[in-house]
Amino acid sequence: MRFAVIGMGKMGMLHAGIMNSIEDLKLAALADTSRFLLNSVRSFKKNIKVYEDHTKMLDVENLDMVVITTPVFLHVPMAWECAMRGIPFFLEKPLAPKSTDALDLIKIVDDKNLITMVGYMMRYIDTFTKAKQIIDSGVLGNLISFKSTIYVAQLFKKGKGWRYLKEQAGGGVLISQATHLVDLLKWYFGSVHQVNCHIKNHYSQEVEDFAHLHFEFRNGLTGWMDSSWSIRHHRLLQVNIELHAENGDLFVCDDYVKLYLENAAAGYQGGWHNWLNPDLFKGVEIDIGGPHFSRQDLAFVNAIQNGKKVGTDLHNAYEVQKIVDAAYLSAENRGKPVFVE
Amino acid sequence: MLDKILLGHNQFFGVNHLDAKTGSKKEEHFAEVEKVMEIISFCFEQDVKGMMMSTHEKAILLAKEIRKTAELQNELGIYLLVPYIAKYVKQANEKGVLNIVKDSLKETSFVDKVNIFMRGSTGVLNKDIRKMITLLIDFEIAPFTNLNLKAVFLHDALTDLAIGWEAAEILELYANHVKDKYKTRPAFCTKNLPRLMKLLNETSIKNPLVMASVNKVGYQVNPSLEAFEKCLGESELELLAMSTLAAGYLKPREAYQYLFSLPRISSVVVGLSSKDHAVETFSEIRSHQY
Repeated sequence: MRFAVIGMGKMGMLHAGIMNSIEDLKLAALADTSRFLLNSVRSFKKNIKVYEDHTKMLDVENLDMVVITTPVFLHVPMAWECAMRGIPFFLEKPLAPKSTDALDLIKIVDDKNLITMVGYMMRYIDTFTKAKQIIDSGVLGNLISFKSTIYVAQLFKKGKGWRYLKEQAGGGVLISQATHLVDLLKWYFGSVHQVNCHIKNHYSQEVEDFAHLHFEFRNGLTGWMDSSWSIRHHRLLQVNIELHAENGDLFVCDDYVKLYLENAAAGYQGGWHNWLNPDLFKGVEIDIGGPHFSRQDLAFVNAIQNGKKVGTDLHNAYEVQKIVDAAYLSAENRGKPVFVE
Repeated sequence: MLDKILLGHNQFFGVNHLDAKTGSKKEEHFAEVEKVMEIISFCFEQDVKGMMMSTHEKAILLAKEIRKTAELQNELGIYLLVPYIAKYVKQANEKGVLNIVKDSLKETSFVDKVNIFMRGSTGVLNKDIRKMITLLIDFEIAPFTNLNLKAVFLHDALTDLAIGWEAAEILELYANHVKDKYKTRPAFCTKNLPRLMKLLNETSIKNPLVMASVNKVGYQVNPSLEAFEKCLGESELELLAMSTLAAGYLKPREAYQYLFSLPRISSVVVGLSSKDHAVETFSEIRSHQY
């Protein structure tokens, strides 16, 4: 199989390296607007074709799949070009600045029955995968409430570039990083009924640096998420979720899963259960930037080979995006509840 | 001659691979450079005279402190890890990959050329790209020259990216530059040892020094502990073992018993956050012949 990458930023380089290491899959071509970057790649990798015009690349390279890692506002236009030509695509998250931007894309992807993936990679982190198994086992009984945070120490002065422009990025920390957590919550708890949201900008002018959401899920579960890319002492992006339920509590973060059960159920004994990363780790074919990226990319390639859709497909990203749209609308109205359509 | 025991650096910079909260707490504790210097001096007295050091901004302060004592400056072996990748990941989010390159080179005479390349008004020659990469390496190493540099490791994020891209020439370029300019040993940190050894076979790099995680539970060992052990048995390399306690998951005795049953282990990185267990840990390691 042959694949290409559109957009040679850090995520483009990462996915190119991982997928190029998957058996029977080769990086054939890449497209970027920077001739300097393209020349640099060509200088070391003469067998990779480089293009300034991505449509030309899609026309001539006979590709089995494409990885799109451009700035957010270009995601849908690039994916559209792939979909038109019937090429399966992997898109970095988030889907688009607004959910409505993607409506035509979804239609054509459905018409052509294309395999797609949008990079909500946290589902492939061992601890979050384990938490999903625990929740799905029903061992906790009725779910009552949760609280969750996603923080990173990234921005403490005005940022430069498209990430900090509302029109190009769609928003700030909520759409760019907290959507990882929104996706996990949706994966764990199902459809969201309504949200309330407050946002605050301090370092950025156009986009929010802090976002606080209250969720009401269709199953009756309520809880909140606090997010920021401007919280000191978080060297890496860190997620924490605490779930309280009738039969116990679940604590999950990037480093561990802790489960407390009042009563034994679903094969678990009562009391405390702990899983640390070394308990859950399994090696991957190649690890660049974390094994979860490899598992994610492999799942996408397997989906193409088997013709089976993945959970983090275009539709899922659209659902996440609708929650984000509702949150921004709520924030504009000082936290008024907004239904998620 | 490589040091058998190296003092790790992660605990000084808030890195903990088992628990990020513990990492942050330790970072607070080591906020003052003097406290780190105390641990270094203590280890030095215990005849542990080697230390891993990433090019974190705190490490630059540490390098200044080390230079104040002639004995440390001359005899403390520094195993540098370049670059401090978390900084660049954040910068990439903030300003993009191209601006990182441009800003890193702004103090060099090469910056005018880079600006011209980025405008795309002239083609880039192969030799320019190679020159640029060596300047980026120099930018990272600069604050640490004048120390007793025993080896300079390429960070696993970059080594592994080169592996993924099958860009053997980049690894060779790195190795030659470190060897020629700094007269020290080029080395690689990786999470993919078998793949690295396969790629290095295409280069002139022989018997490399490699740093990789290895422990009896296979934590952070890819693609599997079995494949890693097989590669160690079959390849010519010297391994600097890290994460030997699986980030604190294993007890030292069982961990080191396993580790020293493996071939080609030349050194062990030990993460010490206090003096309490240091003597015990050192003697445990020294009890094994290797």
